[in-house]
Amino acid sequence: MNDPTSIRPPRPFRLRAVLPDLCLLAAMPLLVYSVHRVFIDTPNEQTMGTAFKIFFFHVPMGWLCMLMALVAGVAAGVQLRRRSRLAGCVALAAAEVGFVTGLGVLLTGPIWGRATWGTPWTGDARQVTTALLWLVIVAYLLLRHYGPRTSDRLAAALAIFGAVNVPIIYYAVKLWKTLHPSTGVVGSLPPEMWATFWPGLGALILCSLGLFGLRVRQLVIAEELDAAWVQLDERSQST
Amino acid sequence: MRLLRQAALLLRSELRQELRDFELVLTAGFFTVVLLAMFYLSFASLQQRAHLGAIPGLMWLTIAFVGVLTLTRVFDREREADTLRALLAAPVDRLAIYVAKAAMTLAVLMICCAVLVPGLWLIFPAGAAFAAAPGSTALLALLGCAGYVAIGTLFAAGLATGAGKNTLLFVILYPLTTPVLMYALVTTRALLDGDPALPSYLGQMAALDVILFAAACLLFETVLVGAAGPRRSSSSARRARPSGQVPRDMSREPAP
Amino acid sequence: MSEPAAALHGVAQRFGRKVVLRDVDLELAPGTIVGLIGANGAGKTTLFAILAGLLQPDAGERRLFGRAADEVDADARARLAYVAHQTQLYGGLSARENLALFADLRRAAGLTTRPADEVLLQLGLPAEALARPVSTFSRGMAQRVALARALAASPELLLLDEPFTALDAGGRAQLASVLEGERRRGAAVLLSSHDLDALVELCDRIVLLERGVLDRSAAHDGDRAAFRRRAAALWQGRPQDPPRDPLHPLLHPQDPAAPGPAA
Repeated sequence: MNDPTSIRPPRPFRLRAVLPDLCLLAAMPLLVYSVHRVFIDTPNEQTMGTAFKIFFFHVPMGWLCMLMALVAGVAAGVQLRRRSRLAGCVALAAAEVGFVTGLGVLLTGPIWGRATWGTPWTGDARQVTTALLWLVIVAYLLLRHYGPRTSDRLAAALAIFGAVNVPIIYYAVKLWKTLHPSTGVVGSLPPEMWATFWPGLGALILCSLGLFGLRVRQLVIAEELDAAWVQLDERSQST
Repeated sequence: MRLLRQAALLLRSELRQELRDFELVLTAGFFTVVLLAMFYLSFASLQQRAHLGAIPGLMWLTIAFVGVLTLTRVFDREREADTLRALLAAPVDRLAIYVAKAAMTLAVLMICCAVLVPGLWLIFPAGAAFAAAPGSTALLALLGCAGYVAIGTLFAAGLATGAGKNTLLFVILYPLTTPVLMYALVTTRALLDGDPALPSYLGQMAALDVILFAAACLLFETVLVGAAGPRRSSSSARRARPSGQVPRDMSREPAP
Repeated sequence: MSEPAAALHGVAQRFGRKVVLRDVDLELAPGTIVGLIGANGAGKTTLFAILAGLLQPDAGERRLFGRAADEVDADARARLAYVAHQTQLYGGLSARENLALFADLRRAAGLTTRPADEVLLQLGLPAEALARPVSTFSRGMAQRVALARALAASPELLLLDEPFTALDAGGRAQLASVLEGERRRGAAVLLSSHDLDALVELCDRIVLLERGVLDRSAAHDGDRAAFRRRAAALWQGRPQDPPRDPLHPLLHPQDPAAPGPAA
């Protein structure tokens, strides 16, 4: 019988166990390189000037926020359907990373807007629905942390509805008049700015995936601790 | 057919209880009047041009506030006596519970709209467009409230079954329902402006309502009771168990 | 031998670190009354919720009326009735209206139901009270209405969570008589109570649920006095010491057997 006080043999090496750490390690130099390219190597945009450089951080964070909201929604669906604790961990981790990236979008957007349109908040459709998506993520996190015992299922439903909000953001550009640049903003970049955009996007993706992976790992370990506690409790009650 | 019959029976029971004391309608209606008074005090002195821009927001903000109050009270009845669990344990189609509660909440909100819309027209003369297009106004109110109710009923029910805290309903509902209310807001603006695209907006609202109702119906039973089958733990949690003590998940073993 | 009306095999339920049920095995045969005893917080209400289909177990198998019940569908719910600790009645409706609502819901599902008045009077509710709102009832009267709602369905499986609570001596005797009738009708009854004497008088078997574990029972073998002694021993023999801290053996390896502080 396994003695919980004995030292366990080391587990075999698995790449996926260190993947989050590798992502963060790779993100660090890429982020430094990206910042260098944005502020040193890339000229100012003709009409928007220096403020345009926020674009290289704002757009990737916007994409990542929506991606994480979708991941949280899908994981929440799996959590509901298959009653999977792992899916619940994935949903929570994705929501937390979505919270951080969404906060980044909401902070950088007004800075860009003020410099470009003279006002930090225009109230146009895409701005508002991105803010709403972020609020849904916050509501999900509050429900997961402060909800009653059975609120995991309710939080999962909230995440699913929140994910449904994501396509509305895209359709908002087509349905309503908006001061946002059209969806073709990335496609209309001059070639030298492409070379600046991709490293920044890559760095932020690696950073987000690394944080996401670390957080999933933490939550899974917490679940394992609960399971181990339960086993120890069973044993101590039976002796 | 069983679903519709049982939903009708539950709705009849709701209406019977409401008709005894009119608690829901009176509190929601009074709250609507109070909000109208506050809007009058806050915005009546603005120029008429500003009224046109304010009316849609005021209308749907009122529905948002009154909606949470109504949903809270509709499910407080269930929470206080734990009757929702009695319905869940009975041979009642669980969707019938959702349909009945949604219909009751929608009815109360429509009664509030019957006070709200004329009230806005009285306070702000720019609201005359409501009277000029009563059919479109009624349809707009119905579709906007229906979308709100589709989402709100699901989450209010979810919080009513456990030891749910009412305050969490506010936290959940406002961000989730705002996209629906924004669609309603844009459509209201189109109605007030006489925008020829109004039928298109109303059609999109109807489509959104159908999607929201369908999603809520799919999720209702799972949220309240949970999905079938044993819970799956993570593979590493399974490895954490000592060997020879595999949990007796007998649903996976062949029947004796 | 007929299939049990309800059977749980290896059922477990936990919320985080709080284990509510551990590896519970239980069978409820038709025409028997099983008493469930346990301290507050032992997991009785969770057990009832799993049997009634209000909660999905984390592990194990649930069988109802001879079939595996991964989820308790409407057909299974039509054959069982659950009376919870709370009365679960609409306070704004009268006793008759409460029963009529659930009877109508059953009829809408193509099911039969006994007349409400007949069942209410059988449980000793005065006729003049039937038209009053339930909110004006005492707890004991409301309890009778809740029991009547369950009995009107003529269930094959009757789940009663502390049904004797708030009933006076007359009410208890009436309920006991009704449950005897249910046993003769072939229903399987599971009822929980803190009143060991009432259970001894009524039950064929008494099981003890303690700290989520259901592994001790006493059966009625025809000698009521002996059954009473065994039931008393069952209750008195339950663990009295506080739950051990499961981390104690790890933190104090020099003295792993010593009971630690309560977890």
